[in-house]
Amino acid sequence: MNDHVLLLPILIPLVAGVITLLLRPREAIALAATAFTLVLAVFLYNHDKTFSVAWAGFGMEFLLRLYHFSSFILLAATGFSLLVVLYCCSFMRDSKHPNQFYSYLLITLAFVNGAVLADNLVLMLFFWEGLLVTLFGMIALGGREGFKTATKALIIVGISDLCLMVGIGLAGHLAGTATMSKMSLPMTPLASLAFVFMMIGAISKAGSMPFHTWIPDAAVSAPLPFMAFLPASLEKLLGIYLLARISLDLFQLSAGSWISVTMMIIGSLTILLAVMMALVQKDYKKLLSYHAISQVGYMVLGIGTCVPIGIGGGLFHMINHALYKSCLFLTGGSVEKQTGTTRLEDLGGLARKMPVTFACFVIAACAISGVPPLNGFFSKELVYAGALERGSIYYIAAVLGSFFTAASFLKLGHAAYFGKQTEASKNVKEAPWPMLVPMIVIASICVLFGLYHQLPLNEFIRPILGEQRLAAQESSGNEMLIIVTVIVLALALLHHLVAAKTMGGGLHASDHIRHAPVLTKIYDHADKGRLDPYNLALAIIRGISNLAYRFDRAVDSLYNGLSVRLAYTLSRGISLAHTGNYSLYVVWALLGVAMVLAFMRMSLWQG
Amino acid sequence: MLSLLLLLPLLIVMILNLPLGRFRSLGFWVALVLSLVQAYTVLFAPAALSGNHDVLGRLFSLGLATDNLSRVLLLSISIVTFASLLVGRQTIREEKQRINFANLVLIAMTGMNGTVLLTDLFSLYVFLEVSAVASFILIAMKRDLNALEGAFKYIVLSAVATILMLSSLAVLLLISGSTSFAAVGSAIKAEGRSPLVVFAVAMFLCGLFIKGGLVPFHGWLPGAYSAAPPAVSILLAGIITKVSGIYALIRLATSVLGPSNSINALLMIVGTISILVGALAALGQTDLKRMLAYSSISQVGYIILGLGCGTDLGIAGAIFHLFNHSIFKSLLFVNSAAIEEQLGTTDMSQMGGLGSRMPVTNVTSLIAFLSTAGLPPLSGFWSKLMIVVALWQSSHGGYAVLAVLASVLTLAYLLTMQRRVFFGILTDRWANVQEAGFGITLPATVLALITVGVGVAFPLMFNSFLLPVASFLK
Repeated sequence: MNDHVLLLPILIPLVAGVITLLLRPREAIALAATAFTLVLAVFLYNHDKTFSVAWAGFGMEFLLRLYHFSSFILLAATGFSLLVVLYCCSFMRDSKHPNQFYSYLLITLAFVNGAVLADNLVLMLFFWEGLLVTLFGMIALGGREGFKTATKALIIVGISDLCLMVGIGLAGHLAGTATMSKMSLPMTPLASLAFVFMMIGAISKAGSMPFHTWIPDAAVSAPLPFMAFLPASLEKLLGIYLLARISLDLFQLSAGSWISVTMMIIGSLTILLAVMMALVQKDYKKLLSYHAISQVGYMVLGIGTCVPIGIGGGLFHMINHALYKSCLFLTGGSVEKQTGTTRLEDLGGLARKMPVTFACFVIAACAISGVPPLNGFFSKELVYAGALERGSIYYIAAVLGSFFTAASFLKLGHAAYFGKQTEASKNVKEAPWPMLVPMIVIASICVLFGLYHQLPLNEFIRPILGEQRLAAQESSGNEMLIIVTVIVLALALLHHLVAAKTMGGGLHASDHIRHAPVLTKIYDHADKGRLDPYNLALAIIRGISNLAYRFDRAVDSLYNGLSVRLAYTLSRGISLAHTGNYSLYVVWALLGVAMVLAFMRMSLWQG
Repeated sequence: MLSLLLLLPLLIVMILNLPLGRFRSLGFWVALVLSLVQAYTVLFAPAALSGNHDVLGRLFSLGLATDNLSRVLLLSISIVTFASLLVGRQTIREEKQRINFANLVLIAMTGMNGTVLLTDLFSLYVFLEVSAVASFILIAMKRDLNALEGAFKYIVLSAVATILMLSSLAVLLLISGSTSFAAVGSAIKAEGRSPLVVFAVAMFLCGLFIKGGLVPFHGWLPGAYSAAPPAVSILLAGIITKVSGIYALIRLATSVLGPSNSINALLMIVGTISILVGALAALGQTDLKRMLAYSSISQVGYIILGLGCGTDLGIAGAIFHLFNHSIFKSLLFVNSAAIEEQLGTTDMSQMGGLGSRMPVTNVTSLIAFLSTAGLPPLSGFWSKLMIVVALWQSSHGGYAVLAVLASVLTLAYLLTMQRRVFFGILTDRWANVQEAGFGITLPATVLALITVGVGVAFPLMFNSFLLPVASFLK
């Protein structure tokens, strides 16, 4: 096969994206383009190829490299895109700007493929930054509120992309090359700095704390398939891909380094804080969006452990999460489409009305909660094992996270699908088939990857880790971990049943946590957006700009007031001196002569 | 051939004053053609201006010579005279006055050409007085009180200058036995420290300061500029004071005195004071021509400042600014002539919104003021830049800063002028004002084109034209 074929996964969606902007039928074009790209990705899977063209010079080469890792991400990204496009065919039917949405979606796919295939850091950055544009565009489609959120996302992601750029610059400088496959930097202090910068770019793309705050906002205002498409799947794939690349290949990261600890802390905090926020949400989409953040914590924690079992778990969790979270968002989309709302208060009793959606929800919710034998269970077990190896504190955080995850999904399912029927859910029908098919496909993959978990592990994850890493540590199944997990899940179920009974209904099952003595204050602050780093930064910037404004006024009054007044006073004085009397002018001239004479005499004497 | 520049205007004046009847009014056209021929010769036939084959010059025993500096001045003289003549034809109604005007302009031209070409201090003084006498009469041509007062002040202060320069010349003749540049120069070098020489040099400098209108010797200037008829203001501000004061100073400093720290320091002080006082005074004026007069003082200060800097770049900048200034200041006075002609007043407080009625005047005035204030890419920017850079390079940073700050003042008063006169709302009083006639808009357009053209072509000229201007020192 010709190596030029590597350009196709980028060019096909890109060209199709431009065409959908102009021509109809958009759905058909988008479907055809993604389907064709998917076929291509399947075809390319597990091939080794490179494609290289001279580009900007200075070591910036247009270098694409296909190998098992990138071909795997390529496959996953394209697959999700196809399913989301299919889903959109009926979801986006009544939306205002479907042409823009499809166009952004396809261009996003092109850029993701480009970023994944790129073997040159600068080229990767080029595609990576391009995603910022389509991200902005897709969120901004949500109208006025969407525009605000889009700006927020642009600023947050833009800043972290800037960090990535700095990191890439540093790393390229240290390694003397920008080619990823030739890089292997020892962890000198400067290299650690480069790693941290690149890590910020990677985990913020994946949506980890503290770069997450635009995601819940976008969940409210952006079109729902967007959530399933970007924050739930493609951004996770891309962010975790880069994190894995820098941790495994580009830098010689060792377990026990402070960077590994930092990553694990970030991961644990993200798991816990985000899941606590998710627990108290009363909106279908918002609740899911906080989980999209929380689950990143498991991936960052897993990769941060720097032990093979943890990294493998993190990567496995990445693909699993992309599956069940996009499935969950899609069920949310169905509910929104059919009932017109995602507020849990207005929902209820949907299980009977929308059985297929409900079934898919149950599978995906079980998967995310880590119920055996679904896929989420296995990846979480691997992450647990890795975390336990590095310290029980991380393990406890992860398990605690699982508890709350399970609790919040019990609440969500209870509130939305059981309970009394409401006004909104009274006359609801099942979603149309183009929306059901993607959900069913994803849910069945969740089951498949659970029952035959050795298949994805051996097929996808092992080659990424490399045989020598695996040889160093053979994973030994720890029965204790499984028992703990089962106990935790049982506790979560018990907690939910008791709470739902005492608080009155599934919706209020988490109210006692919301109103717990200390937590309630924290939640109050969080609800008002005071804990959002974006808002904090904005407040600081507003303070600075206020100061700068004051300073500017002071300088301005110096110019406008003082100097102008001075100039006019002098001007008036000079005018008054010009009386028009010629004898005065003669006197001036003669005085001038006298002064010139005096000056000349003196200066000649001096030298 | 060189002496023709002196003799032709004189000859024409003589012929014009024969009893020729109606043909005398042809004098204007002859003068116009003469100015064009002079410009053409300088630009395209410079070989004709070399002094070697000058039969007539030897006949009259005149020491005539040209160098780059005098060529630049000859060009400015011809351009400004051209503009002034056209405006004069437009603004002077009476036939007899017109003939007088043409005669006097030709005499002033003789005086200026002589000043520029002669290599002898005494002859320089004589021709300087020729143009001065012509300008006395030109200023007073209207014969109203203002005009007479303006002319009178000029005469009085010129008399002071005459005394100073003549006594200085007497001393110099005593010391060197001749008044040619070379002889005086070597005599001053030989006896530079003698109090008598210092006295003589100081006297001559002061005389030229008066002629050039530098602060504090400038008392005559605002009155003379503003009281003179429009066409005369152009000639006076554009070229006469520049030749008789500033050119003579440059010539004296470079060809006679040679490099001298104390004189350079004096020039820089006088230049800076002129810049600041002129600009500040201009800021407070309500009369258009008076404001332009003060602005002229300020701009002349830049030239002297550049000259006082003493480096090649500084002197080249000074000469370039002299040329630019003669163009854009003439242009501003042409515009003021248009306004005076159409409105009958030069009081800016009565104007407003004239831009829509007088588009050509508006646009050309905009170009001239931006060039004066030193905005790129107009000509004034480059010459000011050269002066400031020269000051900086010769470690006179303080003066450089003052020069830059003063150009903010320049921008302030000229912007005020432009806004008061051309922008804003048109008052009912001027609702039917027309654009000035062709005799005014044509020179305005030509001068504006020169300002823009020189500015845009500056990078092309810098190496081929401007640096050689300064190199006549070597």
